Amino acid sequence: MTKSIGTDMVFARSNDVVAREIDGMLIIVPLTAGVGDMEDDLFSMNETGTAIWNMIDGKKTIKEIISGLKEEFIAGQGEITKDVTGIVEELLKRRMIVEAASS
Amino acid sequence: MRKELVSFIRLPDFALWKKIGDNRIPLSFDLEVTARCNNNCRHCYINLPPGNKRALRDELTLDEISKIADQAVSLGTLWCVITGGEPLLRKDFIELYRLLRSKGLLVSVFTNACLITDKHLDLFKKYPPRDIEITVYGITRKTYEKVTGTPGSYARFQRGIALLLEGGIKVNLKAMALRSNAHELPAIADYCRKRTRDFFRFDPFLNLRFDGNEERNEKIRAERLSPEEITAIERADPERSAAVKKRCGTLEISTPLRRSDNRLFQCSAGDNSFAVSYNGLFHPCSSLRHRDCLFDLRSGSLSEAWFDFTPRALSRKTTSREYIEKCRICPLMNLCQWCPAHAYLECGRMDEWCEYFCRTAHARASAFGPVSA
Repeated sequence: MTKSIGTDMVFARSNDVVAREIDGMLIIVPLTAGVGDMEDDLFSMNETGTAIWNMIDGKKTIKEIISGLKEEFIAGQGEITKDVTGIVEELLKRRMIVEAASS
Repeated sequence: MRKELVSFIRLPDFALWKKIGDNRIPLSFDLEVTARCNNNCRHCYINLPPGNKRALRDELTLDEISKIADQAVSLGTLWCVITGGEPLLRKDFIELYRLLRSKGLLVSVFTNACLITDKHLDLFKKYPPRDIEITVYGITRKTYEKVTGTPGSYARFQRGIALLLEGGIKVNLKAMALRSNAHELPAIADYCRKRTRDFFRFDPFLNLRFDGNEERNEKIRAERLSPEEITAIERADPERSAAVKKRCGTLEISTPLRRSDNRLFQCSAGDNSFAVSYNGLFHPCSSLRHRDCLFDLRSGSLSEAWFDFTPRALSRKTTSREYIEKCRICPLMNLCQWCPAHAYLECGRMDEWCEYFCRTAHARASAFGPVSA
């Protein structure tokens, strides 16, 4: 079941993964079982995904992340919101992030 | 904004593998955590007894390994192969494994499986390894223990492998083709293929000892199969046979070599991987043991070893006419075990022609040709 993502929610990176930057590329390495489907699964993100990942710090709300992205990327509010909630849902499903708190 | 924000990468397809040629990133390393082993295999190039005081004294500590791994991670390393000796002999193996995984490294473990316990099973279930590779020396007690020289080892191996497989831990199984187990090799292959996760492979090429122990080298030579026996077992195995034939298809050297090119290292050593031995020495490749190609990580950093030392060590040139006239221009090079590292282990010089390698390469070419040698 997909969790509904509210704009006041705060997320932190999970201890089940380790984020690495290799040659300018964000690589997320699963640490515990079940994050990837295979033992040698890795995850990478595109530029937008990397920007969102970098803002998921256990402090910023979804609203603040959307606002930060609006300054960085030329895109409409609706598109950015959809991207942020989409990626947060995906990362939650894969246990790469955890809900830290709601402000 | 693009829709595909997160993507999966399977390691074999990893985009960085394609980029490394330009950037020379050390993406993987072999970490030899001990030279000690619970078995005493006749063919082994490294094993020392479990209680060997010198090996114990010289082994990298957990703290030293942590510092080396940190440096590797900062240089871009993604994958570490824990090897030995037998890694599970280390009392701190579980801590060591978790430490490497926690740094964001994919970890493979090479083991004989004899020392696997429920604790290892729990560890591998919680923090999956990239893979576990186990060597199967025989599938009868008599053969297995003839190779390992260790009474009771076959029962321990069977127990260890059953624990892993019944616990849902997938393993890759491999074999060494030896004088002592050649009669059982087809049965070993069958056993392995029924249980292995991805592949089965066997290796008939035995390195001589890293420590140069001549008494042990005699035993290794005695375990070597003749070139004709090697080609016979390769031909008898369809998978192996197809792989060797494929190599035969690219035997000719396509680019003319410059007469002035007398570089010794024409291989990929030091391009994107390295090895660290149990005593903290850096090697551009795991078999390369010549003193001029070793860098002590207890005295200097991995960055120095990788960026300064390795290019210097591997720029070595040779004036050996025998090497230049026989090996460097040989079209059978990719069927041959010859390389500077193996030549050093075999003959004590990195640029020396080695009769056994040469005879084996020619036997393989004759068996699998057509080749213009």
